[in-house]
Amino acid sequence: MFSLFYGLWKYMFSKTEFHVLILGIDKAGKTTLLEKLKSVYSNLEGLPPDRIVPTVGLNIGRIEVSNTKLVFWDLGGQPGLRSIWEKYYEEAHALIYVIDAASPSRFEDSKSALEKVLRHEDLQGAPLLILANKQDLSDAVSAEEIARYLDLKKLDERVYMFEAVSAYDGMGIKESVEWLVDSMERSKRTEMLRARAGATGPASA
Amino acid sequence: MFSTLFGNREARILVLGLDNAGKTTILYRLQMGEVVSTIPTIGFNVETVQYNNIKFQVWDLGGQTSIRPYWRCYFPNTQAIIYVVDSSDTDRLVIAKDEFHAILEEEELRGAVVLIFANKQDLPGALDDAAVTEALELHKIKNRQWAIFKTSAIKGEGLFEGLDWLSNTLKSGGG
Repeated sequence: MFSLFYGLWKYMFSKTEFHVLILGIDKAGKTTLLEKLKSVYSNLEGLPPDRIVPTVGLNIGRIEVSNTKLVFWDLGGQPGLRSIWEKYYEEAHALIYVIDAASPSRFEDSKSALEKVLRHEDLQGAPLLILANKQDLSDAVSAEEIARYLDLKKLDERVYMFEAVSAYDGMGIKESVEWLVDSMERSKRTEMLRARAGATGPASA
Repeated sequence: MFSTLFGNREARILVLGLDNAGKTTILYRLQMGEVVSTIPTIGFNVETVQYNNIKFQVWDLGGQTSIRPYWRCYFPNTQAIIYVVDSSDTDRLVIAKDEFHAILEEEELRGAVVLIFANKQDLPGALDDAAVTEALELHKIKNRQWAIFKTSAIKGEGLFEGLDWLSNTLKSGGG
């Protein structure tokens, strides 16, 4: 009986923890984004952009936004490392896909990598935030242009948004996180993940 | 706690891995910049390596089966683990994987970040970083930061790239 109430209590009042995957091809700015998120939302300093080296593994950022805990998983984007992305899909509540908007020569690679991600069934229903990053650079194209280029089919069954950001100077970051939190709180996938965690005991994160 | 650990920039690092992975060679490569001839470590070697304004206290623990149980005596207050794998010793990668995940289970190492050296890249048949990632099942790590580097302790390749990552990660708040 106690455990029943305790479970209910926890269900209603514990802070939800959301896992957000940050993906994108190499040099898109994923780790710079992560460090920016850390410095905007936590009292951690965050690494300055010039100290960031290519990720060969996993970087983690934990922040708290209006009573919601977010855990970001930033995975390396070099071709040889993309094979591990899918191992993180199952537990992810949402996906941020970062694109270097100032680097048209790599749009094709970005597009095909994203299409592959979206085809994977372990990410079904996960809200998708596509960031046209590096808006601090003068030759960066707009979020609309990125959207037109990607021309993603079958996105209509998924909650998604395109946003122009600069992980370097922070433009668009807060809007992005607000959208993300809101979408995750309302998504069916969150319900599904919560039910699964409830069935297997408290999630260890 | 945070400021005492990082204010004066000192970090306690454990170098772990199976016997003959190259741990001692790595330690002295980092410390003296040269290749020393080593014998199997019974017990430990400890050296201080100053790099990127961090004083790394590096503990190299013997890797033979019989002495692995003693690793845990060194676990408290560890900020990072360097796990060294002989990338050419494909027969023992399963054992390397099991030992590695057993270490990650340790309560006292919960906060430690993990750096993997896919060592002995100079040998023919050495697996690359993606293959070692797969073999060690690194994707199972979801609650702490990790990175893998291809290294050759003999040639001195990849080691300082790994330390760069380590110092950045420790400075930006760790796992």
